[in-house]
Amino acid sequence: MPEVNFTIDIQTGEMEMKVEGIKGSQCADVAKIVTELIGIPEREENTSEYYERSNVRPQIHNKKKV
Amino acid sequence: MSKYLTFTDVVFKDRDLLVTALEDIGCSQIRQGENLEMGSYYSEQSKQKVAIVIPRNSIGNRYGDIGFERAESGDYIPIIDDFDRSRALNGRFITQLRTAYNERVVKRVAARLCGTIHRTVEGGVVKIKVRY
Repeated sequence: MPEVNFTIDIQTGEMEMKVEGIKGSQCADVAKIVTELIGIPEREENTSEYYERSNVRPQIHNKKKV
Repeated sequence: MSKYLTFTDVVFKDRDLLVTALEDIGCSQIRQGENLEMGSYYSEQSKQKVAIVIPRNSIGNRYGDIGFERAESGDYIPIIDDFDRSRALNGRFITQLRTAYNERVVKRVAARLCGTIHRTVEGGVVKIKVRY
């Protein structure tokens, strides 16, 4: 099950977010929702899952070929 | 010297979440509108036009109102008197507001993802897990 882990430092109010269990660029979609509300993050790193192919990607490739 | 300071490095992008976060940290009197004038209680406090006003003496801000200016980008930028920085919510106004705002952001994200929230507090850190 995909999950998003947030940590908020009470001393500074700063927040960190980590998306887990989502392969491919779909995790960027989740990040987009957050950046709409908090702005551009100070630091951004893609996890190894980002570079894995998601289950829905092949369907998109098929559509492009048609 | 008492004067209004604008915190350009602290911005809030969503007005509804900002107002809710202000309520969360105890701001019960919130004025909203466009081009609202912040009170000028000392000669050094320059006139400020803002979109949201927390009136003087609401949360320990003895020296002036607290305002939120709407920037051209649409972001809301806090304005607070220099002396009130260390007085409003015992000097923790900005950090408490950021924490409350970010918690509201997480709730909005969870709602958008139709997810469930699991929240814990450990050693000064709020940990929130959203599963969907």
